[in-house]
Amino acid sequence: MNPDFEQERRQRLFQKAVRKNRDETARVLETLRNREDYRPELDYFLNLAADTSATAAEKRSGRPALRLLCLQAPLELIHAAGFQPFKVFSGSLSTSTLATQDFPALICPLLRAVLGEMILNENDAPGLPWVLPTTCDWVVKFPEMLALTGHPSKPEFHWLELPHLKNRRDSRERWLGEIWRLKEFLEQISKRPIKRGALLESIEIYGHAAEILQRLKIARENGRLSSVWFMLILNAFFLDAVEKWTTRAEILLSALTAGRITGGRVFLAGSPIVFPNFKLPFLFEEAGLSIVADDLCSSERLFPGKTFITDTSVFGLISTLAGRYHQGCLCPVFADNDRRINNILGRRTNASFHGIIFHVLKGCHPYDLESFSLENGLKAHGLKFIRLETDYAPEDGQNLLTRLEAYHATLTDK
Amino acid sequence: MKRTLSFLTMPGMQTIRTGFQHFSFLILMYGGRFGIHLGSAVPCFACPYVPGCGGYCYLMGLQGYIGFGLRVLSWHAVWTALGWLAVFVILVAVFGKAWCGWVCPFGLIQDWLTALRKKLGVRERIISPSIRNCLTWLRYGLLVYLALVPPLVTAGILSDDFYLPFCNICPGKALLPLFAGETKYLALNLENTVTLAFSLVLLLITGIMLVGMFFKERFFCFFCPLLALIHLLKPLTALGLIKTPSSCVGCGTCSRACPMDIEKLEEDTSDIQGGECLNCLRCLEACPSSAALNLRFFRLKPVSSSGGRP
Repeated sequence: MNPDFEQERRQRLFQKAVRKNRDETARVLETLRNREDYRPELDYFLNLAADTSATAAEKRSGRPALRLLCLQAPLELIHAAGFQPFKVFSGSLSTSTLATQDFPALICPLLRAVLGEMILNENDAPGLPWVLPTTCDWVVKFPEMLALTGHPSKPEFHWLELPHLKNRRDSRERWLGEIWRLKEFLEQISKRPIKRGALLESIEIYGHAAEILQRLKIARENGRLSSVWFMLILNAFFLDAVEKWTTRAEILLSALTAGRITGGRVFLAGSPIVFPNFKLPFLFEEAGLSIVADDLCSSERLFPGKTFITDTSVFGLISTLAGRYHQGCLCPVFADNDRRINNILGRRTNASFHGIIFHVLKGCHPYDLESFSLENGLKAHGLKFIRLETDYAPEDGQNLLTRLEAYHATLTDK
Repeated sequence: MKRTLSFLTMPGMQTIRTGFQHFSFLILMYGGRFGIHLGSAVPCFACPYVPGCGGYCYLMGLQGYIGFGLRVLSWHAVWTALGWLAVFVILVAVFGKAWCGWVCPFGLIQDWLTALRKKLGVRERIISPSIRNCLTWLRYGLLVYLALVPPLVTAGILSDDFYLPFCNICPGKALLPLFAGETKYLALNLENTVTLAFSLVLLLITGIMLVGMFFKERFFCFFCPLLALIHLLKPLTALGLIKTPSSCVGCGTCSRACPMDIEKLEEDTSDIQGGECLNCLRCLEACPSSAALNLRFFRLKPVSSSGGRP
């Protein structure tokens, strides 16, 4: 192929992606603002979602953003080192088109969108290294894929080797070693030691955020907050200082009025749903289904909750955080993840749902595989189960809606 | 779940426990001065060497009744011993190991040292599973020791100085009387070789325990023969800890929160009350899953983990 022609084609593709990305985000934000349950207190979160770049997060939080993939690096530790933890995820269909070449056809849509965002925003806070836990194969291959895109910034990657067994003592010890190495790494790049007081303070700050998350969960269960807003609020978690996010969420919670859930109450499990790809949440509502609880790593599982401290020494704090982020993680990449089903069944007590929607992003193999074992277990407990395999493209929307409507009918069948 | 006492499952339950421990401390240490005495079968370290105390530790009674009862061999002695045994069994049957976690004055002293360590930010030491296993045997060994030595004294094989053999080496004897201004048990007893040896051993053990209790939460409880004795009555106890395995996500928060680092809490079974459990309910407060951990009282579950829900 003529190199000039190829260059021009790429340029055109790039311009198109920029335009489409802008439109895509604006369209979803507009839809959200025009909802009946929109409240002015939600503007803060909508504004955060309008610019999801690391640069914007840096400006808002006043801290350098440290990029993370997945959820296993303790946020408290990163915060205590003076950084803004910035989880990299993207739900943008338009940016994912930029990262289609040179990769397998069935690549994880989330990481493809992230790669696309990287191409789109070349100058977005390129300085700091990334923290990558070795979760799924796609994450492990992420630096390689980023290099293949020819991205000009060549970020450093700090790997956290994640033991895929949670219940073995030696695995836990290895993970603790990884968290100590992360601490050293953070001290090295921040050029200052992580002090006990700072770590305790960060744990308290995130503990308060976890309390607010708990209240948001209850508000969703009671119908005071719709699932769409819940997901948006959680998606915005890394886009500003945690203290500000917590305060704004608290203001929102106090402004929420009594609500009622009219549709079928369901639990959403599976692959993450990331803004602006709210295709599924909108379809659920259209089909008359209410998500009253979930276990998505982009939503309820975004951070592991309050840390219970018994040993306040640095060693004790690091050990507690390491355990909380490893043993407490329900990601399907773990080999001994059989108690994940208990999380869903346990949530049933408070959220009173009758069915499970399992979302599989095409190419997300760990969730795909785990859906089958979960299906059997959950059906045995009398829960109606539906598995939706989709990607960011809107084309299968009508098909999904038909299936969801039929599923809703089964929920009300006695 | 309607029967759950929600105020106990809220974060802050440990504050209630600490308050109760201090109240119990005042009663058991100074109760006698106000006419309160709970008898000779208190299932915790209510030290009889404390002047004006409000009750006696059953271990002292047990040693005394075995030795003294065998010596006098009267029906009165037998009925007295059986009476206090019955009281002890009833108290343990109703309240189980809550005596250790909520009442024991020596437990409170350990908790004070832990609070000091936390304040100073000193790292807690971890006792490895193999050592913990050995300590379990040592706990029961001490129980056998305190039950076997008194008959040997009665039989004349050992001198009278071996009477109350556990009290002679119990760090509670050295430390608890200090709170009533009594310091004599910290001094060497030069009466004879045996008393000197016992007082030296007592000082050595007290020193080791003080250091241990500073660096490891509830360090002495790993050695406590009373904990072993209470655990032997586990099948009779109405109060205990049970788990709903189907609600547990295996996050390990419970065992990390546990002052005794009991890993059994994480197991996929309903019977999780290990021999070292103190019923302090810290695991229950820390548990992030609703109703995964429950306090059992007879067939009721009055307190369950709330998962941080109000």
